[in-house]
Order: sequence, then structure tokens, then C-alpha cells
Amino acid sequence: MTPLLTSSSLQVRYGPVEAVRGVDFEIGEGEIVAFLGANGAGKSSTLNALVGLVPVAGGKVAFAGKDITDAPAETLAPAGITLVPEGRRVFGTLSVADNLKMGVYAIRDKERIAAAWDRVYSLFPILFERREQFAGTLSGGQQQMLAIGRALMCEPRLLLLDEPSLGLAPKIVDQVFELMETLRRQGVTLGVVEQNVARSLEIADRVYVLAGGRIATQGSAAELATSGQVQNVYLGGE
Amino acid sequence: MKRLLSTTALIAMATATTASAETLRIGLATAQTGGLAPYDAPVIEGVHIAVDEINATGGIGGTTPIELVERDVRSDPAQTSIAAQELVDDGVSVLVLPCDADPALAAIGIVAAAQVPAISTCASSPTLPLIGGDYMFANFPGDNVQATVSAEWAWGEGMKTGYILYSPDTQYTTMPLYFAEVFEKLGGQMLGEDTYSIGQQDFSAITTRIAALSPQPDVVMTSAYEPDFPSFLKALRAAGVTSQVIGSDGIDSPTTFSLGDAAEGVVFSTAGHATPGSPLEAFNAKYEEVMGHPTETVFNAVGYDLIKVIEAAALAAGSTEPQALRDAIADLENVQGATSMITYKGTDGMPVRQVSLIRVKGGERELVGQPSPTADLVPAARMQ
Amino acid sequence: MEILLQQTVNAFALGGTYALLALGLAIVFSIMGLINFAHGELMTIGGYVLMYCGLAGLPFALTVGLAILSTTLAAMLMERIAFRPVRNASGATMLITSFAVSMILQVLFQNFISVRSQPVLLPQLLSDSVRVGGFIIGVNKLLAIAATVVMLVFLDWFMKHQKTGIAMRAAAEDFAVARLMGIRANSVIAGAFALSGLLAGVAAVLWVSQRASVDPLMGFTPVLKAFIAAILGGLGSLRGAVAGGFALGFIEIYLAAFLPAAWQEFRDPIGLGIVVGVLLLRPNGLIPAASLKAQKV
Repeated sequence: MTPLLTSSSLQVRYGPVEAVRGVDFEIGEGEIVAFLGANGAGKSSTLNALVGLVPVAGGKVAFAGKDITDAPAETLAPAGITLVPEGRRVFGTLSVADNLKMGVYAIRDKERIAAAWDRVYSLFPILFERREQFAGTLSGGQQQMLAIGRALMCEPRLLLLDEPSLGLAPKIVDQVFELMETLRRQGVTLGVVEQNVARSLEIADRVYVLAGGRIATQGSAAELATSGQVQNVYLGGE
Repeated sequence: MKRLLSTTALIAMATATTASAETLRIGLATAQTGGLAPYDAPVIEGVHIAVDEINATGGIGGTTPIELVERDVRSDPAQTSIAAQELVDDGVSVLVLPCDADPALAAIGIVAAAQVPAISTCASSPTLPLIGGDYMFANFPGDNVQATVSAEWAWGEGMKTGYILYSPDTQYTTMPLYFAEVFEKLGGQMLGEDTYSIGQQDFSAITTRIAALSPQPDVVMTSAYEPDFPSFLKALRAAGVTSQVIGSDGIDSPTTFSLGDAAEGVVFSTAGHATPGSPLEAFNAKYEEVMGHPTETVFNAVGYDLIKVIEAAALAAGSTEPQALRDAIADLENVQGATSMITYKGTDGMPVRQVSLIRVKGGERELVGQPSPTADLVPAARMQ
Repeated sequence: MEILLQQTVNAFALGGTYALLALGLAIVFSIMGLINFAHGELMTIGGYVLMYCGLAGLPFALTVGLAILSTTLAAMLMERIAFRPVRNASGATMLITSFAVSMILQVLFQNFISVRSQPVLLPQLLSDSVRVGGFIIGVNKLLAIAATVVMLVFLDWFMKHQKTGIAMRAAAEDFAVARLMGIRANSVIAGAFALSGLLAGVAAVLWVSQRASVDPLMGFTPVLKAFIAAILGGLGSLRGAVAGGFALGFIEIYLAAFLPAAWQEFRDPIGLGIVVGVLLLRPNGLIPAASLKAQKV
């Protein structure tokens, strides 16, 4: 089976600082792939480089058989990849409905748009209730739902989530992880950067552990959950 | 000894030959771009017309052609002083400085040190030669003279009450203060005054206040120019004020004549009027012939006058030496320019020239008169 | 009392024009962080179109339409030629670029049109006034107020209910995320310039109808006023720009109207002093931009 997304020797630089020093990974169709690692390991930089938010300094990224290494950010949503950025970053001064409307910005097909509204509102009834409200007035959990809902509006094949559970109440964290499993069942491929190691190992199929901008360990979630290798990396060992 | 004498004679002869084949070099440090360009650029057009005319006859007195050395000072005082220094170092005999007193004054130090006479293209503030010293000359009827002519005319027309609008931003825009002084001296009563900033754009607050005066002033005088004057005038008329409005040479421009009803009856003082058979009419015809379009402003003729003054001074001095030229300019009497006879003798560098009063009538200019001011009434130059 | 009412009408008319000017700056700033000092030259272009159309004898309504169209196109061209190449450069680079564009246009106007002010023929109606109750209002004041209301209602509708308008607000708040949604940077920025050009065109018509002439340096004063109004209102905030524009209009008119005669000479410094005072109390302006707040949290 050809993977949906392939990254080979991906590098990201911020001036003289090398944040990502050549990482290779794959995300297969229908998988949940988790990226774990300490702060500054290069996880978020990797995701941002995939979607064109930061320039790729070296290496190659291919999505569904096409080279997207240098594709501008705005072309990726129509191509089928979206990112839910860290910190949610909803448009606070726009209403909830307008936030979602921005999610389908690149889509012209009216039927697809109508289906997207139905799907997101049925996944998140709370967003329908609050559709007139400014996004900035929602609670943190609701904003996370909105950020994910907004990303789902363009029916991505690959949804990337950057720290989706960060800063949320435990009950909401549960909801977020449940949601990821639901989405996978609906056929969405997921790439997740998470700091909640235990929960990530529960839902992920495969895991890449990053340290110092390189992949330190990789394997199936089940394997890594028992071997304790993940913990070693966090503690600074190899 | 003999040998020495003959050498001296040779040198003297050589000097004499160069003198007769000499050119008069005039340095133009004027604004071809920036805020003063609307005034300096037309003056320089007139300068070129006069120089070409003189050089076509072999130069001044048929022997001394004029060479112009030009620098654009971009309406900037610092740039003006740099350009003046360069031109002085280059050995020009006369300097021409920008229209506004302020950048012209920026070059004072250089002018005085080099002892080169300097003439401002069209600055009209009587303070210019006063501050500028012996080497600084103006080329335009003084603000105090223009204001006296206007005030005497208004008083003579039976106007008893006045109102002025002036701006402390430049020397020129304070001309209404001279007007008020003369008008009161004549027995008129000033009902009030307002100030504005150059480029102010909106005059509605001021005109609303004038409209609220009871009774309304007989005459409203200002030396505001474009874009302020049209804005003020339109706002004044829109507010319902019908008083006589008097302006000054700054509004001698096509805009004033295209304002329609708002400008009807406005009277302003300026440097000249092309009456049939006048030198100005001849100049205007020449301008159109050379440039291919009719002149838009009297400043073209004022530039022509400037060269006529230098020509007359060079003839009188019989030399192109700066010091001699300065003394000759200061002693000039009744030089025939395009706009008027010009006299410097007995003044402090502010020329005596004719002032024309023009009325806007049906979008055309109408000559009200070319009166001479009563000498006793002309106010002393005022330091703003 | 009557005077107060009359001066208030004056303040609304001037404030409205300032609001349109400040909005033009704010729309572009909110999206790409550029203070476009060449905004004034857009107005000058509009003024020259008014002049040439007037000379050609076109009907005034058509002339106005063409002037507004020309400023809109000129703004989009300006973006394409001058600002797109420096889009990702620092704020200082973009600012200097806008100064350069402004100066180059001024010199072009001086060299290819005229250094001298050119008269603009206007319908007599614009100089007339109407009597409402006890007081007289100039027709151009009424038009300025009407044009401001129409433009503000249009912009409000556009920014709230049009997909492109909503996308501009989204991009103003978080450009990176907006791009993730598939919102194309080029079209949003071109749209912002088009809107700012449209506003410059309307403002140019109002401005020129007051002064009846156009000259190469005409744009300097309006862009300065717009800049002050935009800072006063909160740079990058559209509501702030409107509030700042009206506030500046009221400050200027009321000072000119009610300051004692002896102080009138110091009207401008006093006015700017009030602006500085407001900014000391509210450093981010009257209605700060959302993106500013977001950065602080």
C-alpha cells in the first residue's frame, strides 16, 4: 500500500537554528499517526512545514503521489490536507458560523458545502447552538471543537492536529480523543502532535518519537507502549 | 624694468580680451520639484525665454552671452544652501534663489560670505532683503505694498469694516496683517481675524463663524493661495457670506477663474496685467510662440523681468564681477520689464514695481486699476 | 445653539471624510501590516481623472464613477508592482517602499502633468447651499455626509456578509490560519488594496470638490490626517479608523469654532495634544485591533 503522505529528509531552519534535521516518516491512509517528544523536539515545526506555513529547507514531501514540498499553504486545503494549529487560533472576531464558512472557502461545489455544514453541525451540536456568537467568546473546549470543525469543513483526507488537548479540562480532553477515533472510523487519516503520551499511545496506530529535530524512535503504538522506549526519550536517553 | 612693464601690459591686454569674450554665469538654485515648484518652475521658464532672446543677439550688449547653471533644490532649505554653495564655488556671478523667503534665507550665509548678489525668483516678503542683507534682492512687489494698494482700493470703494484670514506659517501668508494696519489707518474698522494652517483643506468652522457676525464685514482679505483659497472662498460663499473678498498674487492662477459663481467679483493684487499694447502682452505672445501654449501665470513674465534686471545691471556695471553687479542692481532705476518698470535705487532690495488690481468677472480677468500706493501708508516690514 | 448645531454638521462632514481616508489605510494595514503612505497619491490620481474628465466635458456623475474606478485600479496595480515583491519583508522595508512609491508618483505628476495646480471644473451645485430650518448647509457638506454613510453601510455589509469580506477579516486576524483554510493571500491582499483604492476615490471626490484644484503634492495632507486618525482609532482596526476619523474631525472643527481668538494660532498643536492625551490613556487607540489583543494574551 502506498502511504498517503511521505516525508523524506525533511529539514526546517529558522535562521541559523536547525529545528528539524532530516526526518523520514509516512502516514498511511486511514491511520492515526502520533508524533511525540519533548518541547522543542521539532514536532510542530514538522507539521507546519508539511502545510507550507514554514518553508522547507531541505528534503521532500509527497501527498497522494504528488510533490507538495514547496506548495503554498493556501493550495493544500483544496488538495485535501488541513492543519488544526496549536492554540486553536479561531478567528475571535468572526461568528462561529463565519469561522466555519472560512473552512469551505476554497470549495465551490454547493452540494459538498451543504454536506459539510450538516456533517460538522451533527458532530458538534454546540457549534450550531452558538453559530451567531463571536468565536472569541467561546470556552477553550468549544474553541477547540470549532477549530477542528473548521478544518473538517473542506473534507480533508488528511487532518493534522497540533496539540489538540493542550490546556483543556480533563473531560474535554476525553472528548477530543474520542473525536479522533470517530473521525478515523469515518475514513479521515490523522496526524497528531501530542504531549499526552499515554492517551496518544492508546488511540494511535503508529508513533514517531522526536528528539533534537530527529526521529529517535518509531514503531507501532502497541509495541512502544510496552517497551518504555518513549519514556527513555523524554528522559533524555536514547 | 622694461621687460617687466611689457609683461604687465601683456597681462592687462590678455585680461581685457577675456573680459570682452566673457560670459555672464548665473546660478539657478531653484525648486523644480516639491512644494515651491508651482512658483519657481514658471519663473524659470520666463528666465529661459529672456536668456535665449538676449543670447540670440550675441549676449548682453551684443558681447556677453549668459550661461545658466541650474540646480534643483527640491523646495528644501538645506538643499538650497548646498546648491548655493556649489554654484558659488563654481564661480557664478549672480545667484537666483527660490520663491519663498524661508529657503532663500537659508542661503544668506553663503551669499554674504561670497559677496555674490542673489535674487529670489518671486518672494514678496519685505523682510527678505531686510534679513538677507546687502546682497539679497527681491523681484516682486512687496507684501506691504500689495496690501496698501488693496486697502486703499477697499476704503475708496466705501468699505468700512473688514475681516482678515492669515496664516503664521510663512511670511507671505501674513500679508493680511499689513492690510489690517493700513485699513485701520485709513479709518476702517476690523471686525476680527482668523488664522489657518497652509494646506488646511476645511474652512467650514471659520466661515460659519464669519457668517454669524452681525453685521457682516464689508471686506474679507486673505493672502491664502491654492489649495486653501478656493476651499475658503467656496466655504465662505456656501455659508452665505456675500462680502467683497480681496486676495493677493498667490491666487493669480487658472483655478481662481474656474470657480464659477463663488469667485465672481473677487479682487486681487498681482504683478502685472496685459493691457493692449503693453510689454506684458508682447511677452505673453512671445511665450506662446516659444512654448506652444498660452501662459498660465504672470510668474512667467516675472522670470523674464529677473533677467532684464540682471542685464541692465551688467550693462551699467560694464562687468560680470559679482561685487560690481550688486552695486549696479542696487542703483537700477526704471528698468523696463515685461510686467512693469522696475526700480531698486533708494530701496533696501525690495523693488518698486507696479501693482495691478484684478477683478474676476465671468471667469475672466478684468483690470480694476494699477494704482500707486500712498508712500506714507506703506507699513514697515514686519518680522513675523 | 444654532452655531453649535451648524459646527456639528461641519464636524460630521469633515470627520466622515477623515473616516473614509483612515479606513483606506486601516484595511491594508490590518491585512499586511503596511502603512501605505502612497494612499494620498491614489487620491491625486482620482483628482487628475476628475480634472481631465471635466475638461473633456463628461457629465459629472460619469466623471465621479471614472475617478473612483481609476483609484481602485491604481491601488491594485500599486500592490502588484510595488508591494507584492516586498510582502514578506519587514514592516520598515514596506514603509520605505510606500514612501518611495509616493515620491515617484509625485515626480511623475510634476514632470508629465504640471508642477502647477490644475483647476477642476465642478458643477455649480457643489458650491451652493441649502437652508434647513434656521441654518445654512453647503451642498458639498451634505454630499460628504451622505457619501460617508453610504460607504460605511456598504463596507459593513461587505465585511459581514460577503465571503471575500469575511475572509479579509479572518486574514486580518490570523493570516497564517486563513491561508490554511485555502484563502489565497494574493486575492485577499489585492482585494484589500481594491477596497482602499475605492475609499481613496470617494475621498478624492469629496476632497477635490472642496478645493476645486489638483496638484502633484495634493496627497500629503490627507494621508497625514488619515494616519493620525488611524492611530487615534487603533491602527489596523476598521471600527477604530472610523471612530478616529470622526474624533479628529470633531477635534479640529470644535477647536477652530470655539477656541478663544488669542489661542487660535495654536489650534493645530492643541489638537495634536488632545490626540496624544487620548493615546496616553488608551495606547492602542480608541478601538484597538483584535490581532493586537490576541498577541497580548
